[in-house]
Amino acid sequence: MAVVERTAPPAARQVPAGPRKGWRAHWHLYAAISPFYLLFLAFGLIPVGFSLYLSFHRWDGLGAMEWAGLTQYQYLLSDSDFWQSIGTTLVIWALATFPMIFLAMVTAVLLNSAVRFKNAYRFAYFLPSVTSVVAVAIVFGSIFSTDFGMVNALLQAVGLDQVAWLNTPWGIKIAIATLMTWQWTGYNAIIFLAGLQTVPGDLYEAARIDGAGPVQTFFRVTLPLLRPTLLFVLVVSTVTGLQSFSEPQVLLQTTANESTFAGGPDRAGQTMVLYFFQQTFDNNDFGYGAAVAWGIFLVVVLFSIINWRLVQRRGEQ
Amino acid sequence: MRLSRRGVLRAGLAGTAATALGGLTTGCAVPTGSTGRNMVLWYWSGGLGDSVVKSAAARYEDSVRLKAVQIGGYYRSKLITTMAGNANIPDIAGLKGEDMASYLPNSDQFVDLRTLGADRLKSRYLDWKWQQAVAPDGSLIGFPIDVGPVVHYYQPAVFERAGLASEPADVSRELNTWEKFFAAGEQLRKRVPGTRILTDVNSVFEMSIGQGTTRFVDEDRTFIGDGPRVRACWDRAVEAKRRGIVSNIVTGTPDSIAATEKGTLPSQLNASWAAGDLKLAYPRTKGRWRVAACPGGPSNVGGSFLAITRACREPERAFEIITWMLDADNQARGFTEAGLFPSTPASYRAKRLRQPDPFFGGQITMDVFGPAAQQIPVAFNSPYDVALGQPIRDEIKNVGVLGKDPKTAWEDAMKSCRRIAKHLGVNL
Repeated sequence: MAVVERTAPPAARQVPAGPRKGWRAHWHLYAAISPFYLLFLAFGLIPVGFSLYLSFHRWDGLGAMEWAGLTQYQYLLSDSDFWQSIGTTLVIWALATFPMIFLAMVTAVLLNSAVRFKNAYRFAYFLPSVTSVVAVAIVFGSIFSTDFGMVNALLQAVGLDQVAWLNTPWGIKIAIATLMTWQWTGYNAIIFLAGLQTVPGDLYEAARIDGAGPVQTFFRVTLPLLRPTLLFVLVVSTVTGLQSFSEPQVLLQTTANESTFAGGPDRAGQTMVLYFFQQTFDNNDFGYGAAVAWGIFLVVVLFSIINWRLVQRRGEQ
Repeated sequence: MRLSRRGVLRAGLAGTAATALGGLTTGCAVPTGSTGRNMVLWYWSGGLGDSVVKSAAARYEDSVRLKAVQIGGYYRSKLITTMAGNANIPDIAGLKGEDMASYLPNSDQFVDLRTLGADRLKSRYLDWKWQQAVAPDGSLIGFPIDVGPVVHYYQPAVFERAGLASEPADVSRELNTWEKFFAAGEQLRKRVPGTRILTDVNSVFEMSIGQGTTRFVDEDRTFIGDGPRVRACWDRAVEAKRRGIVSNIVTGTPDSIAATEKGTLPSQLNASWAAGDLKLAYPRTKGRWRVAACPGGPSNVGGSFLAITRACREPERAFEIITWMLDADNQARGFTEAGLFPSTPASYRAKRLRQPDPFFGGQITMDVFGPAAQQIPVAFNSPYDVALGQPIRDEIKNVGVLGKDPKTAWEDAMKSCRRIAKHLGVNL
C-alpha cells in the first residue's frame, strides 16, 4: 500500500501545472469523473449523514422526529442484547474466517501448481461466491437438519450421535460459519492465487538451490510475499463477516408467525446486523436502529485496525 | 467506431450535466402522489385477488387509470420510506395486519374513511376486524381485506389410532379446551409411539395470547406483560413442555416436513391461510386432513387492510374502488383465488365457499372457519407490542427448545422487558 502512495501515477508527472492551478485548469477532467461522486453523494454520503442525524432522535418512521440527544447511545452501551450480538458475530466470524483462510491458501497453492483443467477448477471454486446467499442458506438448512440432514448422516455413519444443529446455540453458530466458509473459500483462493503469481520464480529457484523443502519454501518464501494479499483478504473478510445478515436470517427463519430477525434459540444466531434490523423494522425504533448501525460501524473499524496492525507489524520485522 | 479522447470527455460531460440537471429538476418537481389519470394501488403478491384487481381496473376505466403495483421485499419499510420521503406516494396502499399497530399513531398520513361514509358499510364487516383499523383519535385508516381465523388442522387416521375423536365435529367438541387438548396429546403420545400433538411451545403461547382481549402493552402505554394474563399463557406453554407433548423439531425444516408427512406430527394450530400452505407443502397427504375448532377458543393471525393515503387526489373515487373490491362478492372471489379469508360474513354463505374440499376429505371447511372468524376477541394492539413481546417469546423458546428452567427464563424475560420499556418510554 505504502509503495503505491509514494510513486506518483505517470500521467501526473507529465502535467506541468502545479497542484494549485490544478482543478481550474482541469475542471473538465473532474467533471468527467463527477457522475460517480454525484451518485455516491446521493446514495452513499447523504444517507450516511442522515443516519448519524437520526441516531440523535426518536422516530417511528412516519411521525414527527423527537430530539433524543445522546440517550440512544447511552442505551446502546447498556444494552446487553447488543453486546451479546457483538459476541455472536465475532464467534461466527472467527469460526468462519480462520478455516476459510487456511483452506483458501491450500486451494490456491494447489491451483498454482501445474494441474490439468486449471481454469475449470478456478471457475468451480469461484462459483459459490456468486450464488445467492438465500439459496445457499436454504440448502444448508437441509444439510444441517436433525433427522434427515447430511451432516448428521455422516456423524451417524462414523458412530457418533445426532446433533440438533439448528436448535442448539453452538450448532447454530457452526452451521452459519460453515455456510460462510463454503461460500467464500473459493473467492479468496482466487485472490491468493493472484498473489502467488506475483511471487518471482527465481526466489523459488534460489530456495530450492539452498535446499529448502516444499513446506519450508511455503513458510519462508511464499507466505512473507503473500502478506499484502493476506491483509486484503483479512480486511475484506472482516468487513463482510462482521456484517453477516442473510445467512442467519434465512437459515433460522421458522414460521410466518415469528420475527425473522430473532436468531433462533438463545438468540444464538442473532448477529449485529440482524439485531439492527430487529430494532429498526420490528420495533419501529429508527433512531435507536441508527445508533446500533453506528455501533456496528465502530466495531468493524476497530477490528479492521486490529487486523491491519497485526499483519503490518509482522511485515516490518 | 473510433473514439477520440476529446469525444469521450465531451460525452462524459454531457452525461454529468444530464445527471445533475435530471437530479435538480426531479428534485424540485417530484410529485407527492400520482399524476395524470393514474390512481396508484400498492399491494404485495397474494395480497389481493388478481382477477378482482383486473376487473376493478376495467370497471373504473372511464374515470381513472388504476395502476396496481405489486411491491416485493419488505413491504412496510418501502411504504413508510415513500411516505416519509413525500414523493410518489400511492393513492391506495395495502396495510398488513401485523403492521397496523405501527400505522395507527400516524393516522394523519391516511384519509379518515369515516369522512367518506365508511360507517354505513360497517355492519357488513367483522366488527373486531373493523376495530383493528380505528386509530386512537377515532379515525378509521384501513378498510378490511381478509382475516386469519386460527383453527386446528389434524390427521384423523392418526387420531383414530390413538383412540381419540376423529370426526371434525367431535374433535371440536371434545378438544375444546387447552386442558383437554393436552390430555389428548398425552394419550396420542402413549398410544402411537413417536407422535407429538405440538411441534413447538411457541404456538401454544402465541395462540393463547391471541385468544384474549389484552396483549403486552395497554392503551395507557403501560407494560402488562408481567400481569396475570400473559403469565397464564406462559404457564400453559410451559405445561405443554412439561407434559412431554411437544416435539423437538424446528418448524419449516425437512425434519418437520417429513414428520408431518409420516403422521408423527399429525396436528397443527394455525390460521385459515395455512390451508394453502398445507396443500402446497404436502400434496401427497391430500384427503388425510380435517379442520376442527382451535382449543381454547378462536384467535386471529394476519389479515390486512386497504388505506387511502393523504396524497390521494380523489379520495371519493378511491373509496368507491376499494369498497367495490372488498364487497362480499369480490371477497368470495379473493378467497377462491388467493386464499384470502373474507372479512364479510355474507361471503361465508356463498356457494363457492361452501364446496367440499377434497384435500380435507370432502369436508366443508367453512363450517369451522366461518364461526371461528365471527368470534374473535377485540384486543388492543400497541405500537410497542412487538418490542415488548419479543423477550418473552425468546425466553419461552429457550424453555421449549433448550430446556431452560422456566423460572429463570421468566425472570430473564421480565428483566429485558423492564429495560426495553424504560428505553421506549413505556410505563411499568
